[in-house]
Amino acid sequence: MPRQVKILEEGIGEYFKVDPDAFRDSVSKKSRAMEPKLMDEHEAISRFVQDGDYIVWECNYLQRGPSTLIREIIRQKRENLWLAGKFTWVTVALLVEAGCATQADMGFFFSGPGINRAILEDRFKVYEYSNVVMTARLRAGAMGVPFIVVRSLAGTDGFKYSGAKIIEDPYTGRPTVIVPALNPNVALIHAHQADIYGNARIFGPGISDAESALASRRVIISAEEIVDTEDIRHNPKSTTIPFYVTDAVVHVPFGAYPGECGGYYASDTDHVMEVFSALYTGRIGEYLEKWVYSVSSHEEMLEKRVGTAKLLELTRRAIIKEGWKA
Amino acid sequence: MTTYATSFAEREFQVCVVSHLVEDSRTYWVAAGGGPMYAVLLAKRVHAPNAVYVTEDGIIAALPKLPLDPLMSVVSPRPAYRALMWTGMNTIGDHCSVGYMDYGILNTLQIDPYGNINSTWLGSYLVNGRRVTGPGGADSIAAMCWRTILMLDHQRRKFVSRVDFISSAGYLDGSPGARERVGLPRDTGPWRVVTNWAVFDFEEKTRHMRLIAVAPFVTVEQVLDEMSFKPLMTDSIEVLEPPTEEELTILRTGLDVRGQFMDASPRWVERHGEEWVLIPKEEAARERPAWI
Repeated sequence: MPRQVKILEEGIGEYFKVDPDAFRDSVSKKSRAMEPKLMDEHEAISRFVQDGDYIVWECNYLQRGPSTLIREIIRQKRENLWLAGKFTWVTVALLVEAGCATQADMGFFFSGPGINRAILEDRFKVYEYSNVVMTARLRAGAMGVPFIVVRSLAGTDGFKYSGAKIIEDPYTGRPTVIVPALNPNVALIHAHQADIYGNARIFGPGISDAESALASRRVIISAEEIVDTEDIRHNPKSTTIPFYVTDAVVHVPFGAYPGECGGYYASDTDHVMEVFSALYTGRIGEYLEKWVYSVSSHEEMLEKRVGTAKLLELTRRAIIKEGWKA
Repeated sequence: MTTYATSFAEREFQVCVVSHLVEDSRTYWVAAGGGPMYAVLLAKRVHAPNAVYVTEDGIIAALPKLPLDPLMSVVSPRPAYRALMWTGMNTIGDHCSVGYMDYGILNTLQIDPYGNINSTWLGSYLVNGRRVTGPGGADSIAAMCWRTILMLDHQRRKFVSRVDFISSAGYLDGSPGARERVGLPRDTGPWRVVTNWAVFDFEEKTRHMRLIAVAPFVTVEQVLDEMSFKPLMTDSIEVLEPPTEEELTILRTGLDVRGQFMDASPRWVERHGEEWVLIPKEEAARERPAWI
């Protein structure tokens, strides 16, 4: 006799459709050939990010995040994106105020007058989770399963506005919180090193680089350095993401600018203050004009807006190297 | 010999009080940067060298290279320096979920009598008011650490009978087993609330917040006046010790070297003879030692 698993409580938040077999189908179509995937940021975003996509990025605009790729999405004016807003500081605000995003699953982001208005006017929808619950959802996505059990979130108002449920666990009989797996359309990840095929190395601590890559249909890696595949094979324990997961490799030194990239360069403190000030005073538009729309590429931004002196200064400030290399 | 300080910021006092609660050879999951991290680092320098802390960006038992760059408190070489392990957020969550994290230390914006905290929305959710950051990792810290220490400013608008939004769970409605009934791990929950003026615990039966200690520079009446609900009270309310000169030196020369944390303090505190004087933030700027 079939017996039913009891759902004791559930949130009302919409959640990105869960379908592990459809995800497997998309994975089955990806090439397994070890072929060069090097391209510039313009081509990577044009080919692999579409309007309406669910996107996840690792770390954030100010800390070893794919800042160049985020700016390129804004430059190409993608629309109706759904954001995985875990562990993010200003990235959500930039994408919302640029008109690129209409909804987000939230863990943490800094809000300002512009983004607040967008929420109150229902132009931007937010579903409530937390950083760790979001990385758990990505882990479930990376496992190819439809949901995962977490020991948090329940009891909060966030739970009510999420896609979480409390079920009677069929093994213990106890109330147990489950959250839907997350399989984003695109993952944007900034790595320290990658080869041209997309074997990527990330040094230092992190958030959920490997989980996001494995859980996403398309994976764009931006890398500080391109290294030879022989180099990767000499130290395979350092590989964070294997080539067959990766769709595009974008070689962008200072790709995390204005953020820090551990072992390589420090953050540009003046720029960090500038972006926070723009956020809090409702002047994100001016910020985007200066740093995104008025320049055509990452290289032009570095040349015209940052300059060699600043880049050298940021490089000089990265004095801790231990552990931040293979 | 202990020399008590006679001139300090209220927020420096608060960090010292939290640091006194830190036990040696215990594990702490702290919010990265700011008061929670300073409190553990201070305790490690003064009395608890083997206290271990982790942060949500996957750093376990670091010996951070101080001072930290402003805002660069996560995924960053200085705070990650000489750690025992570098991993990711899911692993830190696992360590907490299975029960390895003894304490969590969190900053919060708004709290209710049962230790439920809000960091998501001020006002009526989605109707008016404003979005704040969201819980970040705090939801998991508050749910899964054995004991949670909550830090907030002592202001009437922050101690409210109902928070505008429960971002991280305290004892929910205070009823017995309320946390367990929704699936949270048993025997967990808020343990202390530490403000710039007072320390609270949660009474065992009712799970209601209870005043147990006050700062030497305020009265119990002042503490209660700045709360919009009435806490329970212990029979004898302890008077906390002021910071020591040693603690302030470590804070100011090692941790908060740019004075950012001190700058955000609501008031400056000075001892004049037997009296403590509270100086408003705006005037306090003049009172600071010249080298800060």
